[in-house]
Amino acid sequence: MEHLTEEQINKAIKLLKMRPDSKLESHLNACVHCGLCAESCMYYRAMKQDAFIPAYKVNLVASLYRRYCTLTGRVLPFLVHAKELDDKMASEMIDSLFGACTMCGRCVKHCSIGVDIAYIVHFGRRMLAAMGLVPHSLQQTVDTALQTGNNMGIPTEEFVDTIQWMEEELQDELGAEAHIPLNEENKNIIYTLNPREPKFFPLSIAAMAKIFYAANESWTISTNMYDVTNYGLFNGNNQQAGEIAKRLHDEVIAKKCKILVLGECGHGSRANRWEAPNYLQHRYEFETITAVELINQYIREKRIKINKTLNNELVTLHDPCNLVRNGGLLNELRFTVKNCVSNFVEMTPHGMDNFCCGGGGGQLAMSEYNERRIAIGKIKADQIKQTGAKVVVTPCHNCVDQLMQLNSIYKLNVKIKTIAEIVADAIVIP
Amino acid sequence: MQWYQYVSLGAFIVCFVALLGHFLRLLKHGNPKDLSEKSGNIPKAELYAYTTAMLPNQKESAYMHIPSYASGILFHCSTFICFLLFVIFFFVQPDLFPATLTWILVAIVFVGSICGFGLFLKRFFSRKLRGLSHIDDFLSNAITTLFQLATVSFLLSHYFAVFYYIVVSLLFLYMPVGKLRHVVYFFAARWHLGFFYGWRNSWPPQNNKK
Repeated sequence: MEHLTEEQINKAIKLLKMRPDSKLESHLNACVHCGLCAESCMYYRAMKQDAFIPAYKVNLVASLYRRYCTLTGRVLPFLVHAKELDDKMASEMIDSLFGACTMCGRCVKHCSIGVDIAYIVHFGRRMLAAMGLVPHSLQQTVDTALQTGNNMGIPTEEFVDTIQWMEEELQDELGAEAHIPLNEENKNIIYTLNPREPKFFPLSIAAMAKIFYAANESWTISTNMYDVTNYGLFNGNNQQAGEIAKRLHDEVIAKKCKILVLGECGHGSRANRWEAPNYLQHRYEFETITAVELINQYIREKRIKINKTLNNELVTLHDPCNLVRNGGLLNELRFTVKNCVSNFVEMTPHGMDNFCCGGGGGQLAMSEYNERRIAIGKIKADQIKQTGAKVVVTPCHNCVDQLMQLNSIYKLNVKIKTIAEIVADAIVIP
Repeated sequence: MQWYQYVSLGAFIVCFVALLGHFLRLLKHGNPKDLSEKSGNIPKAELYAYTTAMLPNQKESAYMHIPSYASGILFHCSTFICFLLFVIFFFVQPDLFPATLTWILVAIVFVGSICGFGLFLKRFFSRKLRGLSHIDDFLSNAITTLFQLATVSFLLSHYFAVFYYIVVSLLFLYMPVGKLRHVVYFFAARWHLGFFYGWRNSWPPQNNKK
């Protein structure tokens, strides 16, 4: 890391001194350093390093807050551990806040006080982003999204080719009337994808198209903006996050669709459903729901016919942190999965207590920390092994990617599927 | 009233005004303005945040660390009893308390102070905790434990009155400065947590419906 300039420091401190509301101040002053959060963190559990204790991560930001925003910290810094923002501190922050946290929020739920540690980690990332200290690989992912319209830089022709190929597959299975409509206007639904789908998992697009076909849905995909992901949520640059979110928002308006359906991506769903209106500082004019909620509706309203005996292997469910703990979809997920498989087993723990796959918080994009990501993933791998399941279902393509790597490294011998894939396998077309 | 009681009363007023200042500043800044479409029920989530979510079976920090958790709870309960006694002592001197009540209070507060001292030792001897701790952490614990021991001694003998009121005064003067001000921020943090999870319908937890 290069020597910090005065300008960089001032930008970070300015952010720290801003008070849009009382949330940051409340959480920074609430931590009592009891250390009981340690075991709730996958990093600490897997590697037993003190720097991975969530309270330690909070303390990095809190010590700056005390130094620059409190009287005691200014007058008696040694008493309250108030620290200057210098090269050493910035370097520690990068390693801890970017390199040792998936922002899964598990520690938040288990904190003895109720400190929103993930929120503070995100704030610390914002300070680092203000200083231009985002890890290169993560920033590159955001830059690619800003420059090309999707985080993998897939050219439009390649995307269209993939969609046409999937449409042919679909027509082979369902008949010539099955389509994947592109760039149509005035549809009920505009559907979004994780760019990993056209790039690596095109069959999950076909699976969702089969569900839309079975439900007789009016829908479209835009080739201008189909990327549901928003790594601006993780790099701490809210302005860039807002730019990415605005493109999707504007595309829904341009296509005159009623509902934005967020494809199977945990952080993308969070970014667009919960964060984007705040980035853009206005309420959305259209409804925004996740693919999980939509499929759930189809099943409840009997718009699709399901035969769960078509999925008779033992299935377990991985709860993406951003959809369950931070998105409130615990029930919706279980309703969908249990209606589509005949043998289901929960992981221990699951739901609000579930462990992250290890790839969240932008970890999959940060190759600098691959070793740690795989090390913490062993906790998830062990959870999966204990269930004895043959199939792991999860509605998040980032989780799918991490789980596939864990599957190979820890020899789990399981199949990893998305919700759309498991539902499509159980659909009966009359 | 004696001079030392006036001193403690002055310290209490300073503490109260300072903590009130912290509280009013939080109120002034208010909740985050969330422009996303709310999914859950905020009042229910807030209620859950301050009640069921605090139960030991809900938090690993409690059920995986029963001795520390129990010590912390007893330490805090004892501290609140001591604060209550501080107010009562202005109206009823401890030597006028019924003997049984005195001994019950002495027992509870003494156990609380032992727990506080135990947590102090844990913070000092545990490598993991030492790395997380600052002078403020040790000082906050020490002065609160001393406050409890001073309460015990004052309950047992009026001879310790000066010692008691000086310790109380020190505690009140230190409270708004160091981490003891979490007496205000704890409630604020849980409020924000209830708001965050409630908005997204994560709290209160949903039953697994078929």
